Amino acid sequence: RGGAERSGAERCLSALQVMAQILKDMGITEYEPRVINQMLEFAYRYVTTILEDAKIYSSHAKKSGVDADDVRLAIQCRTDQSFTSPPPRDFLLDIARQKNQTPLPLIKPYSGPRLPPDRYCLTAPNYRLKSLQKKVSSSAGRITVPRLSVGAVSSRPSTPTLGTPSAQTVSVSTKVGTPVSLTGQRFTVQIPSSQAAVKSATPTTPTVQNVLINPSLIGPKNILITTNMVSSQNTTNESNPLKRKHEDDDDYDNL
Amino acid sequence: VVVEDQPDVSAVLSAYNQQGDPTLYEEYYSGLKHFIECSLDCHRAELSQLFYPLFVHMYLELVYNQHESEAKSFFERFHGDQECYYQDDLRVLSSLTKKEHMKGNETMLDFRTSKFVLRISRDSYQLLKRHLQEKQNNQIWNIVQEHLYIDIFDGMPRSKQQIDAMVGSLAGEAKREANKAKVFFGLLKEPEFDVPLDDEDEEGENEEGKPKKKKPKKDSVGSKSKKQDPNAPPQNRIPLPELKDSDKLDKVMNMKEAARRVRLGPECLPSICFYTFLNAYQGLTAVDITDDSSMIVGGFADSTVRVWSVTPKKLRSVKTAADLSLIDKESDDVLERIMDEKTASELKILYGHSGPVYGTSFSPDRNYLLSCSEDGTVRLWSLQTFTCLVGYKGHNYPVWDTQFSPYGYYFVSGGHDRVARLWATDHYQPLRIFAGHLADVTCTRFHPNSNYIATGSADRTIRLWDVLNGNCVRIFTGHKGPIHSLAFSPNGRFLATGATDGRVLLWDIGHGLMVGELKGHTDTIYALRFSRDGEILASGSMDNTVRLWDAVKAFEDLETDDFTTATGHINLPENSQDLLLGTYMTKSTPVVHLHFTRRNLLLAAGAYSSQ
Repeated sequence: RGGAERSGAERCLSALQVMAQILKDMGITEYEPRVINQMLEFAYRYVTTILEDAKIYSSHAKKSGVDADDVRLAIQCRTDQSFTSPPPRDFLLDIARQKNQTPLPLIKPYSGPRLPPDRYCLTAPNYRLKSLQKKVSSSAGRITVPRLSVGAVSSRPSTPTLGTPSAQTVSVSTKVGTPVSLTGQRFTVQIPSSQAAVKSATPTTPTVQNVLINPSLIGPKNILITTNMVSSQNTTNESNPLKRKHEDDDDYDNL
Repeated sequence: VVVEDQPDVSAVLSAYNQQGDPTLYEEYYSGLKHFIECSLDCHRAELSQLFYPLFVHMYLELVYNQHESEAKSFFERFHGDQECYYQDDLRVLSSLTKKEHMKGNETMLDFRTSKFVLRISRDSYQLLKRHLQEKQNNQIWNIVQEHLYIDIFDGMPRSKQQIDAMVGSLAGEAKREANKAKVFFGLLKEPEFDVPLDDEDEEGENEEGKPKKKKPKKDSVGSKSKKQDPNAPPQNRIPLPELKDSDKLDKVMNMKEAARRVRLGPECLPSICFYTFLNAYQGLTAVDITDDSSMIVGGFADSTVRVWSVTPKKLRSVKTAADLSLIDKESDDVLERIMDEKTASELKILYGHSGPVYGTSFSPDRNYLLSCSEDGTVRLWSLQTFTCLVGYKGHNYPVWDTQFSPYGYYFVSGGHDRVARLWATDHYQPLRIFAGHLADVTCTRFHPNSNYIATGSADRTIRLWDVLNGNCVRIFTGHKGPIHSLAFSPNGRFLATGATDGRVLLWDIGHGLMVGELKGHTDTIYALRFSRDGEILASGSMDNTVRLWDAVKAFEDLETDDFTTATGHINLPENSQDLLLGTYMTKSTPVVHLHFTRRNLLLAAGAYSSQ
């Protein structure tokens, strides 16, 4: 057919026609015109990937050229990765038989909202506010807790408001059970200026527990990295909100 | 007497020595074709059922054993002989020319390894057997035994019309023994409690604790008879959640509304109120309405779920923890006070899915919403905080439909992995897996007594599953395309199904038979709903119409005695025109959802499509 003599544009056109014919053969009659372009792109990428893989396999097997077996192997490997299909029937029948043997669990009455254990729910908070830093015992330089707004630190334990521009020591503590609550976790946000330590003004300051600041962990940007749960100091106290045991993740670098 | 069952061959290569020489397949097939075409008229329709399964099985054998050229010429020669309703399958087959093509297609692999069921009268079968057991036809007799299961019944051979009504599924028809198990299709007894009824109770209804007890007008709710319905399941057959106070209040409201319900019938058709989703560029893919018609939810192709309030009352979410700490917990209206007025709105949008949302379902107590999506998860949302509570992962492939049980707590989902799963809201893994369909499960519905689940599939069958032990108790065949809508009648005895073939089929669950065929729609039926007392069946379709059918007439005078049920089919009257009570056209809005309010007003929903 003298394909080599045809111009690139002609080749392109015939590829479009072939793709349109394929869509027609598969019974797809209504589609946006860009679908053909997308399908062609996909076909080109797929074939290129397969051929590249096949080249790798054939050179691994120290063959002189790529043959059909290499291509077949390449296709098989790619299929297992990207184009997975649902499990086969006998497997499904098997697991169905196992599952269906166990009797239906009894339902405990009056147990509130029936949800799976917290681990499997999406009700936990998916963020943690930066923990409040009390005294940094060592005099190893100043620790500036960056961002948020700067202002005089006032440790008035007033109405908890998050993210207000006024520099307040704010804290949020919640109870377990309310649907929107961040279940039981306590944390504080401090917006100090340059002081590293904050005086606590409330008389009912619970002692800081479990604070482990390893000065060596203080990085070049003066970000505190804590490794334990820090209980807040200046909390407005709802008495003994339940605390959830967590490992502290690294604080995010938000500079 | 049943055809001797050959032991099921494993999914691995079946030795084709048993099945003769592949180069001669064309001869075998045309020999059989000649025999059938020359047989007596009364037998020809029944024997013609062999063409399609034999054609497909023989073709797949050739492809699987890599006889590509024989497969191609076999296909060319005989694919035009097949019935028109198999066209979609044939198109898929035409693209399967190599063994590797079959590997990813689970449906075709399942088809190859399962036996296609044919139902033939004894006389026709004798004729066929005699012919095939002649020495020269031994090979095709082997093939028939390998791939077909012939269920013989005693009775008159069926006419082409009768056969056409019931065939069409990928697995053939249903063996009679598949539909013999006892099904408890009756309803569970409603709990009895005092109903402070007041006849003129528009405003002044809240005189709680009225000593006078007026009997509810209808006796289907709170029946006075203490006898157990033999067809109803025992109350504790499956564990069900207890009735909370809020549920009891809801039931009282329900009964009051029921008393004001319009009695529908051929003389009194329901009014239809259509909710059109305008400018739904996001692509509306699923709709649900609460039982008391107060909220409507739409699932969209942009993976959002949007909830609207249908009544003037806005949607409110619970206050934040901060504000909750301020309210007076002892006050009488604490349940009102916990709601946040500042963010009340008519519309709430729920984000979370990462793919189009194909199914939505409100819980009966209106506290939860379920949505299932192409991302393979089913999500549970709280309607008090409008946040997502749980994501149930199990199907790793698109989930096409989900529904809460009529009593809450349980829900069912069905998807591309060909199974339906039963879940409980407090278990992160499914409780039951219903496996058996050959293709995607496209539609899942609970029976009103919550003991059974109906699943419609792309393999064109409907199966009824027992929640207690996961067994398939009924298989219904007859549709010629994937099933997209299912509806149980309120009395639990009948099932209506709609598919892409535009027909609504009616099934008697107890006897396991097709009892009606409603023709009229010209496109896929996506919505089916019975009126509250089962007098009218409403169907909504892609052809932009809503049709109303007379359900009372469709189900009366059925000839379901022992004799007819023994054969597995009854004579279907050609009464679609008589049963059609009305056709209502929308401008160009396909109907996606139908819902009868408690007073029998019909609500319909769809997205306006401008073409």
